Amino acid sequence: MTAEIQPARRGVFRREDVAALAVFLLLAAIPLATSGYVVYILPQYMLLGVLAMSLALLWGHGGIVSFGQAAFFAIGAYAMGLVMKHLTGMAINSAYVGILVGTVGGGVTALLIGYFLFSAGVRAAYFVVATLALSIVVEQTVKSFSDITGGWNGLYVDRMTVTLGSWLELSLFDDAPIYYVVLAVVVPVYVIATALMRGRFGKIVVGIRENEDRMTALGFNVPMYKTLVFGLSGLLAGVAGSFYATHAQFAHPVNAGVLFSTQVVIWVAIGGRHSLLGSFVGAIVVASLSNYLSSIEEIQNYWPLVMGLIFIAVIVLFRGGLAGLVEKLAGKGAHGRAAGH
Amino acid sequence: MEILVSVLADTVLITLVLAFAAFGLAIIYGLTGVINMGHGAMLTLGAYFTWWLLDQGVPFVPTVLLSALAVGLVGLAFEHLLIRHFYGRPFDTLLLTWAFFLVTTEVIKIVFGTDFRNVADPIGGDPVNLGIYQVPTYKTVVALLALAVVAGTALVFFKTTLGVRVRAMTQNREMAGLLGLNVAAMYKLVFGFGAAMAGLAGGVIAPMFAVQPYMGDMFLVRSFFVVTIGGIGQLLAGTLFGSFAIGGLETVLALFSDQVIAQIAVFFIAVIVLRFRPQGVFSGR
Amino acid sequence: MALVITDVSAGYGGVTVLRNVSLALAEGEILGVLGRNGMGKTTLIRCLAGLIEPTTGTITLGGENITDLAPHERARRGVATVVQGRGIFPRLSVRENLTMGRVAGASARRDRTDEVLGYFPRLGERLAQAAGTLSGGEQQMLAIGRALMTDPKVMLLDEPSEGIMPVLVQQIAAIVTAINRQAGLTIIIVEQNVPMVFGMTDRCIILEKGRIVAQGSRDEVSRSEVMKEYLAI
Ligand SMILES: Nc1ncnc2c1ncn2[C@@H]1O[C@H](COP(=O)(O)OP(=O)(O)OP(=O)(O)O)[C@@H](O)[C@H]1O
Ligand SMILES: [Mg+2]
Repeated sequence: MTAEIQPARRGVFRREDVAALAVFLLLAAIPLATSGYVVYILPQYMLLGVLAMSLALLWGHGGIVSFGQAAFFAIGAYAMGLVMKHLTGMAINSAYVGILVGTVGGGVTALLIGYFLFSAGVRAAYFVVATLALSIVVEQTVKSFSDITGGWNGLYVDRMTVTLGSWLELSLFDDAPIYYVVLAVVVPVYVIATALMRGRFGKIVVGIRENEDRMTALGFNVPMYKTLVFGLSGLLAGVAGSFYATHAQFAHPVNAGVLFSTQVVIWVAIGGRHSLLGSFVGAIVVASLSNYLSSIEEIQNYWPLVMGLIFIAVIVLFRGGLAGLVEKLAGKGAHGRAAGH
Repeated sequence: MEILVSVLADTVLITLVLAFAAFGLAIIYGLTGVINMGHGAMLTLGAYFTWWLLDQGVPFVPTVLLSALAVGLVGLAFEHLLIRHFYGRPFDTLLLTWAFFLVTTEVIKIVFGTDFRNVADPIGGDPVNLGIYQVPTYKTVVALLALAVVAGTALVFFKTTLGVRVRAMTQNREMAGLLGLNVAAMYKLVFGFGAAMAGLAGGVIAPMFAVQPYMGDMFLVRSFFVVTIGGIGQLLAGTLFGSFAIGGLETVLALFSDQVIAQIAVFFIAVIVLRFRPQGVFSGR
Repeated sequence: MALVITDVSAGYGGVTVLRNVSLALAEGEILGVLGRNGMGKTTLIRCLAGLIEPTTGTITLGGENITDLAPHERARRGVATVVQGRGIFPRLSVRENLTMGRVAGASARRDRTDEVLGYFPRLGERLAQAAGTLSGGEQQMLAIGRALMTDPKVMLLDEPSEGIMPVLVQQIAAIVTAINRQAGLTIIIVEQNVPMVFGMTDRCIILEKGRIVAQGSRDEVSRSEVMKEYLAI
């Protein structure tokens, strides 16, 4: 039994990699097969998928739930919008600066908050409330400083153009080009995040989730690792936000708020908190389903209720979410990891 | 002088109203260790029941009592169906109570709609003019009621055998059971009471705010700060002190800036204060 | 028979600790349970108190099968447990701790406060003190007194002498014996302190890896091989 499972675990490639390859190939093929709304909207869902991954890192691996992921997403989005709006007439492509500022902004904000809280030994429950407050603060801030942020109306953001010195200038106004640009961002993000979490860093983070005291006793700087994983999570949310803004062509307070933050929690719970790929797919599936169902008048009002009930079912019955279910069906469940947090 | 008196009086009123709003959370969080993210939704539910009953012609006092009862029953049902299986797993109860919030909010939207509802001030009339301070009548009544509820609970908690049982249970659950206490039933009672208090607060504050599906949200976070600053399990003095810290700060800051910025500043300060005394926060873990 | 234990096994998560233990106690009897550390004494107590479910066997109290009852239901039927480590409520006063013993089970019980304070006058002098500030010996008295407040039929004592100075141990032993005589209480006392147990009762068992390896009178037990090997007197 062990002999059968060891090679799969030790080898460079795992079942999840095959699944990931399939998912990304499918995503790459979609614009070839079809066009129109699907090709327009999918990149946004992929970016929401990245946002979901940012939480899965934290929750599934680190055992820390954040109700404030929207805050970092919004930081990325508004940074992108503001930089592109105000940084004009420069030699450098302002969209690149925007992405950089948005990404670093999300990451650094998370690092600071993480350091502030974790270095004091603040644990899970209180951390949730603090991140919830963060979400409210960011939402209120972008709402009330309307001169800068556009307030309730949101902020208009330009579609970016990809440039490479004077050799290349690629407008992303059409659906397909930006689709592939987003995909070209999402894939490396997934690969790097996965590699990180499978490496020493990820093992330490999981170790902390399993038994914090033991890791401290072994000499690991637990607050530092928690801070780092939260920082990483903020960084991912920031990337997702900045690309989302330029794709959707707006940054909006709704994407900073508590409700949006907790949407992310639901995607991840449904997709499978232990699996980055599961969360990614979970976000795409749930977000597109939500979008579709809320456009049908008879269902519209009931759909969020159904989501809430599904969420309960996942917490009570399928703690591994969809990814856990697939894993079980694939037969791995019999000797796979024990159901975690 | 006048400004000082009115700021002081406002602070006292806001402190007590906030204490009222946070009280149900303090009960549930402090005594069962469940981080009740559904607290805000319970307030909202209480406010809607109150709006609806008044609309049916029921007088105000029975209305708020019935609202409290109804929310208490909803809380009991929720506890019985889900929460009781998850005591001792704070993370799962946190998510479940959040789900309670989501579901309750959606049900409210479906049943009552999303329009803002107004509940008329049951006392009505102008503020009583004391020369240096205009006393807002209804708010004052609410504040006094808050005081009465907190003091009444304190009496039960510290002076009755029911109080002995509850306090003993929070200190050593297993031992309380070994002495014959039905711990599961007591948890249920406490959870139901906390929910009822949230419902009562929601009903009572309904005339002071616009009733809408998300009215409880702001109170959720503020209540958490109240409870954590005051200290978990420090039900009474803690709740009052925490409310004073949050409410007082908000009032004073609002003098110098607009409401929203004051609120944001308070959240910042609350997080900073809590960071330096997080030990109170995790006694439930 | 006050308490009958038939073929009880129990353990923690698949690990069997207690193996096929059978015992019967007559009304008003004291049974001493001896054994080295980790041999399953506390496990036996927890099993009787209802804190862990036995995997096999039955427990009856005064003829009623209580095997499947929860701890509080057993307590209400007259099983009082004094846990290892005492389990007092530290932030309740001494008086409230005693009150808790009386009211926890809700049903109307005889108020035995005066009797308890008669046994333990030191508690009477400290009624208003927070129980957490009592000395170890006083806490043990409180734990026993509180158990008595539930007006029990059977009392389970888990290592009452642990961490308490010899003079006080003698005192506690004397009081427990007195309680047994006056109230006709049936008692199981788990101990490492062999002289204490021998001073209180003539009937003992020795647990070794979860099994009863010796039982009988003081003399019989003292003569047994296990006793010679492990419990050098
Ligand atoms: N909660 C638990 N989970 C797993 N194993 C346990 C648990 N409690 C006790 N054990 C194990 O069961 C065995 C018996 O423990 P028990 O507490 O009954 O011993 P004891 O005879 O009371 O010892 P002592 O004299 O030290 O109190 C020990 O090996 C112990 O490690
Ligand atoms: Mg023991």
